[in-house]
Amino acid sequence: MSEFLLEVKNLKKYFDTPKGKLHAVDDVSFSIKEGKTLGLVGESGCGKSTAGRVILRLLEATNGEIFYKGKNIRELKKNKMRELRKEMQIIFQDPFSSLDPRMTVSEIIEEPIKLNKIINDKEKRFERVLELMDLVGLSRRLMNTYPHELDGGRRQRIGIARALSLDTKFIVCDEPVSALDVSIQAQILNLMKELQQKLGLTYIFITHDLSVVNHFSDDIAVMYLGKLIEKAPAEELFSNPIHPYTKALLSAIPRPTLDRKVDKIILKGEITSPINPKDNCRFANRCNYVQDICKQTEPEFKEISPGHFSACHVFSDHLSGEFE
Amino acid sequence: MNADVLEIKTEQLLKTKKRSQLFDVWLRLKKSKAAIAGLLLIGIFIFMAILAPVLVSYEDDALKMNVRVRLQTPGSDHWFGTDELGRDIFARIVYGTRISLFVGIISVSIALTLGGTLGAIAGYYGGKIDNIIMRFLDVLLAVPAVLLAITIVAALGASMLNLMIAVGVSNIPGFARVVRAAVLSVKDQEFIEAAKAIGAKDHTIILRHVLPNSMAPIIVFATLKVATAIMATASLSFLGLGIQPPTPEWGSMLAGGRSYIRDHMYIVLYPGMAIVLTVLSLNLIGDGLRDALDPKLK
Amino acid sequence: MRNKVLEIKNLKIRYVTDDGIVEAVNGIDMLIEKGRTLGLVGETGAGKTTTAMSILRLIPDPPGEIISGDIILDNIKLLEISENEMETIRGRLVSMIFQDPMTALNPSICVGEQISEAISIHQDVTKEGAKEKAREMLEIVGIPGSRMEEYPHQFSGGMKQRVIIAIALSCSPKLLIADEPTTALDVTIQAQVLELMKELKEKLEMSMLMITHDLGVVAEVCDDVAIMYAGRIVEQGNLEEIFKYTKHPYTEGLFNSIPNIDDRKAELIPIRGLMSDPYNLPDGCSFCDRCDYALDICQTEKPKKIYFSGTHFSECHLYSGNSDFQLNCGKK
Repeated sequence: MSEFLLEVKNLKKYFDTPKGKLHAVDDVSFSIKEGKTLGLVGESGCGKSTAGRVILRLLEATNGEIFYKGKNIRELKKNKMRELRKEMQIIFQDPFSSLDPRMTVSEIIEEPIKLNKIINDKEKRFERVLELMDLVGLSRRLMNTYPHELDGGRRQRIGIARALSLDTKFIVCDEPVSALDVSIQAQILNLMKELQQKLGLTYIFITHDLSVVNHFSDDIAVMYLGKLIEKAPAEELFSNPIHPYTKALLSAIPRPTLDRKVDKIILKGEITSPINPKDNCRFANRCNYVQDICKQTEPEFKEISPGHFSACHVFSDHLSGEFE
Repeated sequence: MNADVLEIKTEQLLKTKKRSQLFDVWLRLKKSKAAIAGLLLIGIFIFMAILAPVLVSYEDDALKMNVRVRLQTPGSDHWFGTDELGRDIFARIVYGTRISLFVGIISVSIALTLGGTLGAIAGYYGGKIDNIIMRFLDVLLAVPAVLLAITIVAALGASMLNLMIAVGVSNIPGFARVVRAAVLSVKDQEFIEAAKAIGAKDHTIILRHVLPNSMAPIIVFATLKVATAIMATASLSFLGLGIQPPTPEWGSMLAGGRSYIRDHMYIVLYPGMAIVLTVLSLNLIGDGLRDALDPKLK
Repeated sequence: MRNKVLEIKNLKIRYVTDDGIVEAVNGIDMLIEKGRTLGLVGETGAGKTTTAMSILRLIPDPPGEIISGDIILDNIKLLEISENEMETIRGRLVSMIFQDPMTALNPSICVGEQISEAISIHQDVTKEGAKEKAREMLEIVGIPGSRMEEYPHQFSGGMKQRVIIAIALSCSPKLLIADEPTTALDVTIQAQVLELMKELKEKLEMSMLMITHDLGVVAEVCDDVAIMYAGRIVEQGNLEEIFKYTKHPYTEGLFNSIPNIDDRKAELIPIRGLMSDPYNLPDGCSFCDRCDYALDICQTEKPKKIYFSGTHFSECHLYSGNSDFQLNCGKK
């Protein structure tokens, strides 16, 4: 058995569209150790949410391998996969559409326990639901209310309780706080962190918000148009970004402080279409450092310093990334 | 977390009943005056249909011809007057209610069962299956519903059963479309994905999540369609293709009385009003339900 | 005396609904001078958008009603003029950018025409003149004039927001209201749009009311900041006063809730609880249930404004009688 809880190798997910093949996830590989958090960052349309869903097999991958505890889950039959879902869960972005509006809070949390026949005794099952509600900080008196009667933060707590109701080890968190207000956002982030420590959970934390991911993750992987372009331990990525896109992304975050340390890098243009991309660097047309080679061949995703990977023709050889 | 909240005992909580969603719908429906008026009206009709034998005698009042009292104007003996054959119009309307409501509800049930199943299959599975089902229904939809119903009755012969089949079948495409659209709008929501993620099987997802959440537009549509079905029944009977005389039916009462309309307007007035009021009340209820059934609209 | 572009005095707005009365804005004062940008910060339901809509007089009535107050834009008392006069003001003296660029444009009209339409409503120009001006506006916001004839669906989100900015600025308004203009955009695009807005504000010498929940955006584009909570401005001051000498516990709570990107180990200190029910605001300070510093008086009495400088005030009992009080991150 490998040292990683989850290993993804050459994962691809293409969608057929009238205009051609949409490369949502294109040859992505990474791995996560048990109890750690991998932040998956990128802008809208970069394929980060698709990647999360493919890993849980909510969408079937086009190609590639997904190893969970050393087993390739892409080869599992439907009922074996269903068995595995007890350990692999997801928390959704939108706390308004991810809960069935016709079920009460306790019914939503109870459903996975009931469906998977974990606790068959009604009273004991109920006991467990209350336990879960306490765990995520939902007041017990809310058990008979419906989701639409609650605010975004509380609804997200329901989603978390549902994800934890089984024998959960691994959770894909798909933008879990981006629909929430700042003060509520902090409550949920703290709760998720606390639960990770208490239950030894492993997270993939998908987000577009770099300040959140920095606070939350051990490793960070940056995606651009379906490709992984940089991956490093959080601290390393923030202090020493290599890829020009990562740099621009980091510099573009509005910082709530008056003494700004970083100069803004304003990128030109916008994200291009992921349909039938050419075999070159996908960031080439927006890059401030673009060279001829970038427009001709695709850069390799390689290890530049221990644990720090990047896919860039220009900066891969310059360790510090200070090429002007 | 507050300590006092935690102290609530499990047993206590188990006993507290969840507020039923039907009750919520009722609370919201109650706010609409139009819907309440509709409910009252349809209540009166249902009441009449159920208590018909107590109110009047079918044999003596509604069927037995009595030429001596033909074409009597409304009065204390005959509230709504009598028709050209001396039958009490009130009695015939009361018994006609039974037929109209019965035919309306049964034919809509036929359409809902068949059309709904087709629509749900088309919507949930999509792709080729969807294409085949919907194109077939498009062909059906291209034929005007009344024309289709007339054709069916003409082919099968005029009887109450055939009438219900005709009206039901002609409504299948409409129901299939509404159910398909409702299923489609629910199918792509994240809670369906969430259900997959917790390991729910396909049929569990359809029965527990997709259908209950698609119910609102379907119920509204069905309510409105009962009204149309009652109209269709009356129309077909008026044309002589539905309920056959002497069975009292609103449409055929209109047909029978139409030659006397100049001097004895009441013969057609009361059955006509019965049709208008039933259809109106069902439409009012349908509109009220549309607003009341959506849990997100508050 | 400096030039006042917008002045709001004691504005109160409420919504009367079937379920009760929502007190959305409860007596706010606001002042924006020429060329300045005021950031209006608050969370969902704080009353930010209601305030903005009232400046355009676009509060739906019913259910909304402006109970009292004055809104003075460029020396015109907006609440006293007729609807016809108001129409000539919207778009010319004040215009607004909305949060969602996807739905703010008409999908069936090409963008050039949408801009020239806005121009010809308020300016006496020929069709060609309006078109020429529209092309100019497009180029100002960084879109080549050759894309005049294209339709909104041919533009990406960031480009659409630029088109909307072009429309809003086409008649050189004195005040631009921007309601979360970059929330729906990606970070790199957000940076582009914010940069553009800053540039244009300088160029056209306008004032701006920037509505946002993001203190990072505030730090980048605003000169003054007003923090709104439950329909009141609880703290207001210039950028430095708010960021460095934070006085109100809510403002402090907001800062503590944001992950610090330059210090990943810093602990998040969320504000506990939820915003009070807008149907039923408490008698005292609206924030006191969530406040770690709350005193007895906070429960019963509404706090008054306490000034720390000519521009900086806070509505909080902590400072009445003790203007030297220091916040300490909620640690007692």
